[in-house]
Amino acid sequence: MRVSRDAVGDWPEWPENTALVEAAGAVLAWDVLGGDPVPAARIDDPERAAEWLWEIYGAAADGVLGGATDVTVPAEGDWRVRDACRALAQLNWVEAWWPASVPAGVPAVDVVVLRAERAVLTSTVEHLLDDPDAVTRALASVVLPPVPALAEQVSALAEDYGVSLSAAVPARAGYALAAGGIGSSAGTTVLTGSSTVDWALVPAGVVDAGAPADWAVVRRQGTTVLEVSVAPGPRPGPRLAARFADVDVSLSEVDALGRLTGSAPVPPSVLLLPPDRRAVTVYAPDFAAPTAPDPGAEARRAALIAYARTRSGASDATLTERTAQ
Amino acid sequence: MSATLPRGAVVARAWTDLGDAVAPLSNGAGRPLTRTVKLILDPLVLRPVQHPEFAAGPMAPEPADALRDRIHAAGPVLAATAAWFVALKKERRRLRITDGNPQDLYFQRCFELATEHGRPGADSAAIAAAVLAEVHTSDGPTVTGLRGYLTDAANVGELTRLIDSVWATFTAPRPAPVPFPTADFLATCATAPDQGLFSALVSGGAGTEGAAELDRPRAALAHGLTDRDLPARPVLGRSASKGNLPKPFDRSIMERLFAPLTNTFLRAVLAEVPALVRQEITRSAGPWQLGDEVSRVLMVLGREASTGLVGGAAGGAAARLRSRWEREAYVHRALRMPSAVPPEVRADVHDVRAAYLRRLWVRVHGRELRQETVTADQVWDVLDGVLRSVILDQRDRLRSALEREAMA
Repeated sequence: MRVSRDAVGDWPEWPENTALVEAAGAVLAWDVLGGDPVPAARIDDPERAAEWLWEIYGAAADGVLGGATDVTVPAEGDWRVRDACRALAQLNWVEAWWPASVPAGVPAVDVVVLRAERAVLTSTVEHLLDDPDAVTRALASVVLPPVPALAEQVSALAEDYGVSLSAAVPARAGYALAAGGIGSSAGTTVLTGSSTVDWALVPAGVVDAGAPADWAVVRRQGTTVLEVSVAPGPRPGPRLAARFADVDVSLSEVDALGRLTGSAPVPPSVLLLPPDRRAVTVYAPDFAAPTAPDPGAEARRAALIAYARTRSGASDATLTERTAQ
Repeated sequence: MSATLPRGAVVARAWTDLGDAVAPLSNGAGRPLTRTVKLILDPLVLRPVQHPEFAAGPMAPEPADALRDRIHAAGPVLAATAAWFVALKKERRRLRITDGNPQDLYFQRCFELATEHGRPGADSAAIAAAVLAEVHTSDGPTVTGLRGYLTDAANVGELTRLIDSVWATFTAPRPAPVPFPTADFLATCATAPDQGLFSALVSGGAGTEGAAELDRPRAALAHGLTDRDLPARPVLGRSASKGNLPKPFDRSIMERLFAPLTNTFLRAVLAEVPALVRQEITRSAGPWQLGDEVSRVLMVLGREASTGLVGGAAGGAAARLRSRWEREAYVHRALRMPSAVPPEVRADVHDVRAAYLRRLWVRVHGRELRQETVTADQVWDVLDGVLRSVILDQRDRLRSALEREAMA
């Protein structure tokens, strides 16, 4: 692996591919699509990192800290700590980027299982984490999971750290949205299209990660209206909007198909937009500002969806991934 | 084969040799728990203060062997400590005690029990119950006692006059003719803290001198310590709520003392209410509104080190803080944290330096109340820990703002 002054290996190129662990003095990152058991690292405090870096790189840790430019991490060794870090990183990735989608066939993960499993894994590698209170912090969001073995494990852990777990499942957000609204039958549809959703612009689970946002320009009673709809994900709630050209549409209603939808008047000139500008950007206004679509992002998202589809049967999958449904 | 080994590796291997007997003090990976190292191995077994060759860092083969021998020699007492921890947890469960972190509260007690009694015997339940009764007796001043004292008509007049008189006699410190060598200390405090330099900063009054500019209009405001143009004398106050405290210099006496009193296990070491209140009033009129020169020096060091967070040249501690802050940017993206910041968190994100100084003030103030001092080799841990705490707190607040939004 290449080593520079404060970096080991190739850092994952995209945030949505990055599974990371914040360790003491360094951050470890795996590319979830890369399959390499050895992580990349960015080291910001070599003295602190030296205490545990050997657990990750074995004998190569000396070279990393000693200014080598290239090191070979031995294949043989006791990598249980590194594997536990990998699993913890995977859960961090799942929480942030798991692309639950009905049409794409990616089942939703149970956040309750995820948080419990993460607390257990956090405690396994507690000795190398940056936050000395990482376990207590991880336990703070845990409720008893519906998996008996995990429930028992996390209960024992909570007892060791003096945290009282609640058995209650947190109330799911209800739809605070007005049903019905768009009369898609009314008017004449002049233009339609669809655009995929940039995951970085909406919180995890709020929209279906594999379904595109559909838009239509409709002429109705002498006015031109833009209609946008998008399929909700397993955890809808935060308000959504869509931007088309310079027009913002609030997606505050639910159509007959259960999709989040909204409409706004647009000047007839939108019909003159060149095809490459006829794109809708869905975003959560309290989460991110809309940005121009990145041309390569769609293929990257497709690759992650394909990856997520394989996880329920993968031998290295976390319990959270295996129990997704 | 390299000539040196990281201490972490030496400890881990020696610990593994102790086997299952110390499992209750180990994590799932078989390594000693963070608190096993912090509360047992370091202070009670390895004692790097007396044995500098056991301090963190690369170890030559000889001290590495010595360290391994020391841990092996402590094997029986560590095994007994682990057994006592299990006994205490069992008794705790039986008594339905849920307060506090058992590791924090019992680890050192267990080591004492192991040293005194060896492994738990037939009388272990009785001994465990006695220890728990002692640990969980809530001594020390209470919030109710504090509120009663501050609102008792018999005290209010006298206490208010005390505030007036200490504030009236306060004279602003003057800048020193020759600047203190704070930069020299910060340059190496993370790796090789200079004990002599730190003592010189404290004895020379570098912290007091560094408060000189706080009395200029808007200076304390720019530090994030007040919302006023000039700090004003505090009121006694009648109430406080943890989630909604004003900036440090704008807090009433009640608000300044409230948070430390809510921790059952820390308040046992605090002074009784009347003394606590009088000390706090005096403190409020001191430089940095702190009472101890070590605390004030920490504020000055924190102010200087945190310049790295807002650009400008940075070396030593400032460069390290900056690299932690910069790493937050990519961690933030990889964890899919919001890029739009809700209004209630905005000020902290945009003025991270002010948030940093506020958190640092609260830390050193709490340490003063508990009469804990900070030594030269703990300075970097404090400066670094404050930034970590500011960052993690910002993440928690962003997450909870999102969740509130989702539930709305």
